[in-house]
Amino acid sequence: MAKNLSGNYKGEVEINSQSALISVRKVLRELTESIGFGITDITRIITAASELVRNVLIYAESGVMYWILIKNSEKIGIELVFKDSGPGISDIEKAMIDGFSTGKGLGKGLSGVKRLMDEMEISSEVGKGTYIRIKKWLKIKND
Amino acid sequence: MSEKKESSSINKIFNSLLVKIPSGTNDEEIERLQNTVLLYLEKYDDINGVILDISQVAVVDSFFARTIAETTQMIGLMGFKAVLTGMRPSIAITTIELGFNLGDVQFTLNVDKGLELLDY
Repeated sequence: MAKNLSGNYKGEVEINSQSALISVRKVLRELTESIGFGITDITRIITAASELVRNVLIYAESGVMYWILIKNSEKIGIELVFKDSGPGISDIEKAMIDGFSTGKGLGKGLSGVKRLMDEMEISSEVGKGTYIRIKKWLKIKND
Repeated sequence: MSEKKESSSINKIFNSLLVKIPSGTNDEEIERLQNTVLLYLEKYDDINGVILDISQVAVVDSFFARTIAETTQMIGLMGFKAVLTGMRPSIAITTIELGFNLGDVQFTLNVDKGLELLDY
């Protein structure tokens, strides 16, 4: 089970400048380590989060990341939600195609994030904003 | 202060330029390092190539990957070879999963092998 958690099961990080990248990485490193994720999954989670933070900064300029520790009967994990009030994504399916980009990125952002994580959910409304939820699970070994 | 950080990250070893990319480097610092590397290349006339040591890098996201790819291309344009060393397994895995192409560069496990590849 998760050790060394100070009792917090959820939290948030404001995304409104480049420093958010540093804060998000730091918070997620501590969280994922205390949950017990291996180094590769820790890297996946932090990389996925970095991509989504960058998207918020590039397209919406500001937003927020929520983190929540999740569990079900077999496993524990982490859920991250990236929310912004930016321009929104007009064609989510198109945005998920490898290599597609309307901006400065390498264009593999969203589809890459999906490959790194276990679950991904996107909802967006043009002119209103975007909401992206990603999850990564850690299986609990039964001794 | 920041200049000190950059110059201490770049050293000439035999005929290679060894660039150690520090951990926790932010976007601005990486871009400055890229600039500094190219300026150093202009300065030395007996260099075979550049070793980019990413052994301290814990996360490679799209910006970092793009900057590295650009840097290796720029190094090539200036007529030098670029070698990437010290990629951690977790970085290799996430780089492939994200579908990043780091460009026309050779990879070695560590600096020693990088120096061998560049004929010292």
